[in-house]
Formats: sequence, structure tokens, C-alpha cells
Amino acid sequence: MRKLIRVSLFIIIPGIFIYLGSCAPGSCFEETECYLKASFYKSTVLSTPDSLTLYGLDRDSIIYSSKTGVQPALIPLNASTESSKFVIIINGVTDTIEFRYSSYPHLISKECGYTFYHHLDSIPPFTKHIIKVIYLSNPTITNLNVENIRIFY
Amino acid sequence: MWKTFAYSISLLFFLNFSLIQVKSQDTISVPLKVRAGIEVSGPAIYYSDKNILNAEGYFSVDLNEKRSVILDAGYLNFKYSQYNYSYLNKGSYLRLGMEFNLLKPDKSQGRYWAGIGLRYGLSRFTSVIPSFQKTDYWGITTSSIAQKTNWGHFLEVAPGVRTEIFNHLSIGWTVSLRLLLYSGTGKDLRPVYLPGFGDGTKTITTGMNYFIVWNIPYKKIQVILKKEVKEETDEDSDSDANSTTGNKSIKSTSGNRQQGTIIK
Repeated sequence: MRKLIRVSLFIIIPGIFIYLGSCAPGSCFEETECYLKASFYKSTVLSTPDSLTLYGLDRDSIIYSSKTGVQPALIPLNASTESSKFVIIINGVTDTIEFRYSSYPHLISKECGYTFYHHLDSIPPFTKHIIKVIYLSNPTITNLNVENIRIFY
Repeated sequence: MWKTFAYSISLLFFLNFSLIQVKSQDTISVPLKVRAGIEVSGPAIYYSDKNILNAEGYFSVDLNEKRSVILDAGYLNFKYSQYNYSYLNKGSYLRLGMEFNLLKPDKSQGRYWAGIGLRYGLSRFTSVIPSFQKTDYWGITTSSIAQKTNWGHFLEVAPGVRTEIFNHLSIGWTVSLRLLLYSGTGKDLRPVYLPGFGDGTKTITTGMNYFIVWNIPYKKIQVILKKEVKEETDEDSDSDANSTTGNKSIKSTSGNRQQGTIIK
């Protein structure tokens, strides 16, 4: 009888572990969006614009609408094209920036699935009404909170 | 002449005494076995979840009463889908390594095993992502990743137990801790599931295997048993010194446990 109990425990205990392990639910807790992170500088000092408006050229929806306290700006790139053009209005003065890049899929996790990472090809061309210089600090755009460009105005 | 004679006699006595000592040590006959086993939790999980089929078997050969060489082989068919992507992976894997029985031969008797296995794993798999979607400011982007075959490498530590329940038939389980060395896919497209390893997005995974094993003895070896001697206390030493019964114990000179109790 004791042997039977031992054998049963020998079978049941690992069985419980297998059952619990196989039924563990998975949830996505990671950042799934990949934005280009642009910091704003006045001369050489980090400086948040008083007002920022940003939208994709020929797009109806607006990313930032006369928003204050934006630092850094999170700019979504279009994964299905190789460039994205944006209208940026800093303190009421309008400029355009065109980002040229390549996109590639990246698995975040089993639970969160895939997203697109991007790699900037070059310093983005821009108009110079208020923007003076754009500095490329990190060309790889991921879901991590890492600055990609600096906009000097 | 007398010196040579005396030396020869001494040598004879010494050899004779050594022979008696060897014969007086306890030995046990331990069968060495070849084993073939199948993993049963894989089909059991497939019964409840048709998206993951893992079939695995193993073959091992005892080298001596402690060590055996083991070869695991398996096949995985994995399907996974959720709201924004689907993933398919088929592949096979091998794990080659050693198992070490931590039980003493008189306890294991060739029937019981409690020990640890160390293995190197190699996985060959073909994965495809038929579709995935990303929704953002620009709308919905749909893409796919073409089928590709890759090789993954990993290490495994697997402690476990095994017991013979019928003649030549054992059951047992192992808990596995696996370390991914190389997924073969690069860091951006790591496998959602790596055959033989588990979740390919993680560097370390755990698992559990449940085996039914068929054993065939192929050889018997004699193993000398090592006995533990109780550490002697001062009281014991005193009593030994005063003892008139003729029983003697070998004293530990280093303080550690020594083998063998000789009863004259």
C-alpha cells in the first residue's frame, strides 16, 4: 500500500507542475510602439518648445496639436514606405522634415508579437524657417526610450 | 642470504594481508543497462492543445554504475496565433550528454536513478510567419516573413529521478534548465518556440519531461561498496582503548569520514 502511494506521488507531483506550467496565461507588458524620438534644443541647451504641432504630410490626423511641454517628440514612421514627411510647427513657425529609412520586422515577445524597427539612412532633409540644425544621435529606431535626433531651433 | 630470506617472507606476508583485505571488502553486482524511453507529456499536452505536438524519445547506455551516455531526439510541430500575428514552426532536435547517478550502488541496485544530466542540444527548425499586422498612425501595415530553416544550439541541466516499476520497465521525470547559446535567427526574428528548448525569445527556459523507459541489462559489474564510519567521539575512543572485546574501528586521522569498518 505504501509503495502504491509512493508510486502515485511519483506520478502526480510532476503532473501537477506540467499542468500548471502549460496553463500559465501570457500577457504583453512591453512597449510595442516604435517612435522616432526627437529632442529639442535651443543653442546647445535642451529646451522644450512653448507650442508644438506635428502631423504627417497629406494626413488628416494630427500627432501633436499646439501642445506644450513636448520633450521629446515621438514621431511614428510609416513601415510600408521608405520615407515619411512631416509638417512641424514650433512656436508658430512651420517647417517640414523628411525621414528616409529602411524598416524591418522585430519580435518583441511571444505575447506582444511583432513590430517594425527602422534605421535612418541619413540626416533628414528639412526646411530652415525655425529649425537650424538636425543632429542624428542614434539612427536605429526601436521600442526603447533612446533619443534618435536632436532638433536645434 | 638471511636478509634476502627475511625480505621475501615479509613481502609474502604483506601480499597475503593485502589479498585478505581486498577479499574482505563488500562488493555488489550491478547490472549495466541500455535504455530506450519515450517522453509522454508531449502527446498528453497535444491531446488538450492541438497547436503543439512534441514527440521525444531517448536512448542511453550505462558506462559504469554512476555514469551513462544519453541521446535524446525529438520532433516538434508548433502553431501559434493571436490578434496580430500567426507563427508556424516545424523541426527536430538532438540532445547529447551524460547522466550521473547520485545514488550509491547498493541503493540504486541498477533499478533506481536519482541524479543529474548535462546535455548539449542542437535544434533544426523551419519557421514561417504567414502574416502579421501593425496598426499605427499611418494605418494598418500587413506583412509576412518567408519560410526559413535555421539551427539553434543550447545547453541543458536536467536533474530527475527514475524507478523500475516492473521488470525491465521504468518511469521517471526530469526537470530541465536550458541555456540558449544561439537561436540561429538573429536578434530581431528570434523563434517564438525553439524545438527542444522552448520559448526562443528567452535566454533561459525551464521544462519538465516525463519518461517511460525500457531497460535491457547487457553486462554485470562488481562494485566495491564504500561504507561510512561513524565519527568517533572522545568517549568512544576511551571506551575503545579500554575495550577487551577485540572489536576495533579504524580511526579517522584527518577528522573526515573514512571508509570501512573492520571487525576482527
